[in-house]
Amino acid sequence: MGFESLIGAFGEVFAPGNLVLMFVGVTAGLIAGSIPGFTITMAVVLTLPFTFGLSPVEGLSTMIGVFVGGLSGGLMSGMLTGIPGTPSSVATVFDGFPLVRRGKPGLALGLGVWSSFFGGIISAVILVLLAPQLARIGLEFGPWDFFSLVLFALTITASLSGENLTKGIIAGLLGLMIATIGSDEVNGVARFNFGTEILQNELKFLPVLVGLFAFSQLLSDVRDRRKARQPLMESSAKAVRVEHIAAIKMILRHWVNLVRSACIGVFTGILPAAGGSISNILAYDQAKKASKAPEEFGKGSPEGIIAPEASNNATAGGALITMMALGIPGDIVTAVMLGALLIHNVQPSPTFITDNPQLAYGIFVAFFLAHFIMIVMQAFCLRAFLMIVRMPMYFLAAVILLYCAIGVFALDNAVFSIWVLFVFGIIGYIMKTLGFPLAPIILGVVLGHIAELNLSRAIGTSDDLTLFITRPWSLFFLIVAAFSAAFPWYQRNFGKKQWTLVYVPLASLALSVPLIMMGGIVRPGIGLLLIVYALYKLYRHHQAGWAVHQG
Amino acid sequence: MTRVNRDVVVALLLLLFCGVFFWESFNIRLTDYGQMNSAVWPRALLAALALASVIYLAQALRGDFAAETKSEDGAPEERGLLAWLASYRNAFFCYGLFLLFLLTLPVFGMLIGGILFVFLALTVLGSLELRLVPIHAAVAVGTVGAMWAVFTFGLRVFLPEGMLISFN
Repeated sequence: MGFESLIGAFGEVFAPGNLVLMFVGVTAGLIAGSIPGFTITMAVVLTLPFTFGLSPVEGLSTMIGVFVGGLSGGLMSGMLTGIPGTPSSVATVFDGFPLVRRGKPGLALGLGVWSSFFGGIISAVILVLLAPQLARIGLEFGPWDFFSLVLFALTITASLSGENLTKGIIAGLLGLMIATIGSDEVNGVARFNFGTEILQNELKFLPVLVGLFAFSQLLSDVRDRRKARQPLMESSAKAVRVEHIAAIKMILRHWVNLVRSACIGVFTGILPAAGGSISNILAYDQAKKASKAPEEFGKGSPEGIIAPEASNNATAGGALITMMALGIPGDIVTAVMLGALLIHNVQPSPTFITDNPQLAYGIFVAFFLAHFIMIVMQAFCLRAFLMIVRMPMYFLAAVILLYCAIGVFALDNAVFSIWVLFVFGIIGYIMKTLGFPLAPIILGVVLGHIAELNLSRAIGTSDDLTLFITRPWSLFFLIVAAFSAAFPWYQRNFGKKQWTLVYVPLASLALSVPLIMMGGIVRPGIGLLLIVYALYKLYRHHQAGWAVHQG
Repeated sequence: MTRVNRDVVVALLLLLFCGVFFWESFNIRLTDYGQMNSAVWPRALLAALALASVIYLAQALRGDFAAETKSEDGAPEERGLLAWLASYRNAFFCYGLFLLFLLTLPVFGMLIGGILFVFLALTVLGSLELRLVPIHAAVAVGTVGAMWAVFTFGLRVFLPEGMLISFN
């Protein structure tokens, strides 16, 4: 069955039409990634309307192509001009730009491109190995556990995506509220239509998403009149010949750094809300700490290029693990992919891999293939990318605004969808301007139905609300949610206030409880290890007289 | 308007939103089937949102959102109504043009309306120079025409035709 599905998936992914779509997707991602201010998320969001008429495998392959291309595209502008194309390639600039300035642009680009490739391939292997295992754990979840998982995903997104937790929580709750407008999916009852016919049906996910994210992002990009008229990249970067062989040899010489950075990327991707923008900095930091020549970092160290580029591409694999194994989006990109699955009537859940093996294997194969296509396109189209990014931003903004309208209209052939886009475009822009993070709203809109459905199922199964804290997985997610909500305070006061010394031990002790409750050998074993770790940390702090210090 | 005042206003608007939606939640039909009443979940959310808004209000009144806090797009805040309007000029024009495009969609359709929208948006966002007019016009016709063709012939989407032209 598995082998047949794999063969079937290969057949679908390697079909000529799908290959063309993936080439187009990767190229679009590379272009989007190389344009400062034009995020990968925006590129994936704008790809969604094209996927309506495609099969699920074709649609997701295209989106994966855009995602992988976008993650790699940022390195070109970053290295050649010093302006990172995306937040996920910020750390690449620290050493990539100095190496280019030292007269080695070919080597710098080669290191970036091939680190992205190897990082992506490592994460693809982990994705194939880990997603089915994690999905097996997901099968243990009841509606209580799912509800708590959604709560955790929203809490961590709210706490990580903005400067202020309250604004993040408000954004998440608004997202959940938006999902309640229209028809109630559980009972089929109209809600919040204010007596109008127009709101009898539920608000479609796509116009809300494109309005909140793409529309508002575009208008933010052109808010400054002077900047809007300037070319996207003013520096006169010249296309160079990429030194492939020298780069591969150098990367393989630093294979420990490569594998460590890829693992950091995968782990960061698995966590909801933590994406490439965090992983590339984390990997760079770890590479510097572990390096034999940390003084070379910032001056064009190859290790400083390998680490961020391997980790940011590996993040994609991690985000796909969460999406495929649990049916929960880890970030906006995977939220859009979930939206694409829903449009094709594929319900994301822990049974996704078992229920749709061909589609699941198709995603695995497409993820591998996208990295090979990325290498080809990076090598041959560098000059074309550099020409595109010399265009002024306002050209792109005006055209894409109209494209948004056509795209959402294509969803259900309804002009109402364009009105929804317009209204949520205004809401998104206002919220962005007021400092509200948009990621929690979007995740709230996607997760709202899942949360309500599982709450309804939980209450329908039993009136006993204590099940939310007596079931081990539910308790586990609620504890992680509580500690992730407190994380911004911990981060702000770390090294300043005494209570931060007990945050990690307390979290470890709290998490050991549900792990021990789960039974068996492995999980209680991990729980006991957490207890030992927490007690050791507390003992060390006690020995140090509860002294507060950095690091 | 300072950041503190603005946040207070936003918090109050959020509370008003909660109130209006809570009131409207009483119009949700109660069913004798289903495991959970359709109003339960939104009311729980509204209660949580109201609580978060009260906390936000308290933080705003306490001055937690200092004036130097930048908006998410990183743009500095302008002072005075005219300066404020000027700093959001592009956004206002774009929304205005998009609204106009939507209102005239039944007349112009997606193709002509789209070309007009893109051309006007390019002219407003870019410089109003004579030499740029043909460039903007060419970009508008080329890009909208291409998008229209891809969706109409490639993806078989019947985009609004409008009253002026009919392809059937």
